[in-house]
Amino acid sequence: MSLLDVRNLTIALPPGAERAHAVEDVSFALEAGEILCIVGESGSGKSVSTGAIMSLLPPALRVVQGSIGFEGRDLLRLKPAEMRLLRGSRIGMIFQEPMTALNPLMRVGDQIGEVLKVHGARGSAGRVQELINAVQLPDPDRIARSYPHLLSGGQRQRVMIAMALALEPAVLIADEPTTALDVTTQMQILGLIKEIQSRRGMGVLFITHDFGVVAEIADRVAVMQHGRIVEAGAAAQVLNAPQHPYTRALIAAVPHRARALDAPPTGRPVLELVGVRKSYWRGGGLFSPRVKVPAVQDADLVLRKGETLGLVGESGSGKSTLARCVVNLVKPEEGAIRYHDTDLRRLMRRHWKPYRKRIQMVFQDPFASLNPRRRVGDIIAEGPMAHGMGRAAALRRADELLALVQLDAGAAGRFPHEFSGGQRQRIGIARALALEPELLIADEPVSALDVSVQAQILALLEDLRQRLGLTMLFITHDLRVAAQVCGRVAVMQRGVIVEQGRTAEVFAAPQHPYTRSLLESIPGRHWLPPVAQIPDQGAVD
Amino acid sequence: MNGVLGDFFGTFLRNRGAAVGLAVLALVGVAAATAGLLFPYSPWDMRGAPFMPPGEMEFLLGSDSLGRDVAAGIAYGARVSLLIGAVSTVVAVLLGITLGAVAGYAGGVVDDAIMRFTEFFQTVPSFMLAVVLVAIFSPSISSIVAAIAIVSWPPVARVIRAEFLSLRSREFVHAAEVLGRSRTAIVFRVILPNALSPIIVLASLMVASAILLESGLSFLGLGDPNLISWGFMIGAGRSVIRIAWWMSVFPGIAIFLTVLALNLVGEGLSDALNPRLARRR
Amino acid sequence: MGGARFAGFLVQRVIKMVVMVFAIIVANFLLVHAAPGDPASVIAGEAGAADPQFLAQLRTQFGLDQPLSTQLWLYVSHVAQGDLGVSYRQQRPVLGLILERLSATLLLTGTAFILAVIGGVTLGALAARRVGRTSDSLITVLALGLYATPIFWVGLMLVLVFSVWLDWLPSFGMNTVGADLTGAAAVLDTARYLLLPALTLGLFYMAVYARLTRAAMLEVASQDFVRTARAKGVPEGGVQRRHVLRNALLPVITVAGIQAGQLVGGSILVETVFAWPGIGRLAFDALLARDYQILLGVFLATSVLVLVFNLITDLLYAWIDPRVEMT
Repeated sequence: MSLLDVRNLTIALPPGAERAHAVEDVSFALEAGEILCIVGESGSGKSVSTGAIMSLLPPALRVVQGSIGFEGRDLLRLKPAEMRLLRGSRIGMIFQEPMTALNPLMRVGDQIGEVLKVHGARGSAGRVQELINAVQLPDPDRIARSYPHLLSGGQRQRVMIAMALALEPAVLIADEPTTALDVTTQMQILGLIKEIQSRRGMGVLFITHDFGVVAEIADRVAVMQHGRIVEAGAAAQVLNAPQHPYTRALIAAVPHRARALDAPPTGRPVLELVGVRKSYWRGGGLFSPRVKVPAVQDADLVLRKGETLGLVGESGSGKSTLARCVVNLVKPEEGAIRYHDTDLRRLMRRHWKPYRKRIQMVFQDPFASLNPRRRVGDIIAEGPMAHGMGRAAALRRADELLALVQLDAGAAGRFPHEFSGGQRQRIGIARALALEPELLIADEPVSALDVSVQAQILALLEDLRQRLGLTMLFITHDLRVAAQVCGRVAVMQRGVIVEQGRTAEVFAAPQHPYTRSLLESIPGRHWLPPVAQIPDQGAVD
Repeated sequence: MNGVLGDFFGTFLRNRGAAVGLAVLALVGVAAATAGLLFPYSPWDMRGAPFMPPGEMEFLLGSDSLGRDVAAGIAYGARVSLLIGAVSTVVAVLLGITLGAVAGYAGGVVDDAIMRFTEFFQTVPSFMLAVVLVAIFSPSISSIVAAIAIVSWPPVARVIRAEFLSLRSREFVHAAEVLGRSRTAIVFRVILPNALSPIIVLASLMVASAILLESGLSFLGLGDPNLISWGFMIGAGRSVIRIAWWMSVFPGIAIFLTVLALNLVGEGLSDALNPRLARRR
Repeated sequence: MGGARFAGFLVQRVIKMVVMVFAIIVANFLLVHAAPGDPASVIAGEAGAADPQFLAQLRTQFGLDQPLSTQLWLYVSHVAQGDLGVSYRQQRPVLGLILERLSATLLLTGTAFILAVIGGVTLGALAARRVGRTSDSLITVLALGLYATPIFWVGLMLVLVFSVWLDWLPSFGMNTVGADLTGAAAVLDTARYLLLPALTLGLFYMAVYARLTRAAMLEVASQDFVRTARAKGVPEGGVQRRHVLRNALLPVITVAGIQAGQLVGGSILVETVFAWPGIGRLAFDALLARDYQILLGVFLATSVLVLVFNLITDLLYAWIDPRVEMT
């Protein structure tokens, strides 16, 4: 008998939503000792399905039909008090955002002890420290006495796991637990979950949108789209021989094509960074000295005409800061930033204007990078108008650019909130291209997008790059994306560029230990998505 | 812009409280405007016997210790309340936006200095400061408006500064910078329009508290001696409350209804503006 | 948190307080000189301005014919030594008058504050627990209504109902005149007189705290860590107490600090309505008599009260919230 048996689950959305049901006729089973991954993009209903298991759905969502069999009972028919007894003791759950998942006013040890106490188990300090040890956190005594804000994201997620597993539940539900973590931390957490799962023979229900994670840990997979399961089966089967068109499209969208070895760039340097240094001051008050935090240290880079250089690193590596130095959003205290022959760092703000036409930027967050109170046409026309173009001409240019980024002409009259994330990112790209720049800096342009949309935007950027002869500085934390898009790559760790070179070479034979650990942290790196096994047809770089 | 404005009014009016509030405010406004028609005499005129209970001898709401018409006092008093409430709020908002925007955008020492200045005004008890100001500069409509404005601007500055600080690091502001727009354009045409929506809500609540402040001042005898106001009427009725309760009760009800209406409108505005912001995501 | 860091925090706050008091004294000085007319007659007040000898004495005492900076220095040093001036009309030093009546005001505002906080937080938490239901609507409407009424009018209405019509409670003063009660009887007597004024002052702020607590609890209830607590199987009561309420109290403490100024300022209105012998009543009498020395003195005193109260709320907040940096 399955450990957890979900049958024909249908949950209705409140009237006025994009569709009638959050999940429709969903059935899957979790066996003991296996990891089942539920994969889907945002809005697919994956979180709602698992929320229903724990009976933690928002009141607006109603269960219309279905049953959830667990340990001989139907969870949907249980009374709230009975369900509460199961939560935390027989079924544990961890969530996506570790930074907000812990009560900021309670010590970590007390929060772990709480789960023991409410289920009548002994919550002794010793037991709590055992649990902290089991999730591989060092110095359990200090951690137990700490408040959450003193711990990093990865540490907090381990605490969450400790809390969820304290009473040795039969099932662990993990709702995108690593999405908000750095890639190296993600690898550690995935390893931890796998280790605990195999040791205890638990069943794990793991939700993710990342097929790499699926390749890394899943035994079985279920793919969801628009509230339905479109394909399910053994991981090896679904990953290497997907049947359903949606699954195929999702897997095809995973960035995988390593850039073909083109001739090394020989054009003249467009951008040269020499010894750039930027620090921030933290703290400071009447009684404690201010601390200097180096965000970028002695960065040296060369970017030649027509190439795409990737700046790769985890959060806190300084890559975004470096990008902002180049466009003068942030002033470095030392170093030279040479654009052709001009040192941009020495320029005063009022002399920057002509360079604004040559260097432009595409931003990360499609929801925050467009002025919510302006129409799209005005947003794109803003740049040219600030440089003297007349309004009518600028708006005409905006229309041309909208066509270039494959949005319909009517878009110019609408407001940003009427568009999806991918469409807004296209608008952002159009805005950046309005001034006909030579150098385009893309600051994590696809990180906030769903996988399928990501692929479209990357294809668009590639197409534009070739057509307009752009030189690109591409910032990302996702190594797969860097492998697909960038000819050369520079790896940053804590403000220092530790390695740079041709992408294919760096990825094949990394020199620096950090680069090596980064590459080893790519989830599912041994899995070659099936599309890549077919020789390239068409675009040769 | 039509779709957005229409959306906004729709959501606003669907909030019953806000609709009622708006209706009450309209009534008060009408009373203020037509006071001269409804009561074609000065509210200071002695119209009959003193201490007449409501309903007797044409005194709809009774007469006061000098035989003056309470109903007329309330109608003319509406003008004073609305006028002082509106003008002092406008002044306070302008003051607050200027200081808050400068502090939020400039940052550093300027921000610190302005914040210390704001803290000063938020620490001293505002009503006491208003009393001291009006007392020292002699009560008149201009000193009252000035005093109320001076004690009311700090929350505006705080809110605008907070909005500026958060918007300053928003990516669309960075984009404007990278596109090469001038600093003035960025402050006035990019940041400020986005910072204003909390101020709209705050302003309606400020008019309400301005009216309460003004009534408190005139209750204590610090109102403009030439203008009849609701607070003054309550103060005049205080010592004779045992024999003429209507002198204190009705003007108080007038204040209550007006302030309540303004609060309801403010909440309606807040609800109407936020779902649109929420839909941004 | 460590004792040493706490001490450092305390010292830093006290220094800020002192600077603020200094700023208020300077503001008082500026007000006297910005007022229309001769500063000496402003200081002397209506009664004192009629006495030329007194005026001359003030002129030398405050150095009114000397440069502004010297005058400022004289003024500040007077105040620093506890000399807030003399009331001509009452022929007594202002500081003495204030200190006499301070305890009455503290009693009134303290009681009102406790009433407001306990009543407000309880009602607000109740409304949040039963959000959308009748009890929530009732509490919200009640709070909205109380928030819209002028304090002095509430006081008068309470007097009307409980004193004039029902004759249950006294309407002015602090204790029964001429009764000479002691011990428990005296306390009870004062309590009878305290009830209406404290209620008047407290009801308004109770509405403020009720709305604030309700909003804060609803906001906190939707945060991630509350979901975590439920997923651990914590019973609803525990979730509300340990997770929601604790975090919701933080903004309440912050606002309490900010509202302190209004609460103390409101006491002038309540003390006037109920003839309560505190510094608010003193200020009202000074208003009538145009006795600006007393007025400015009361202004300074109330500001100091607010500062002390803010210090307490700051410390309380820092004690509860471990994220506050004690630097």
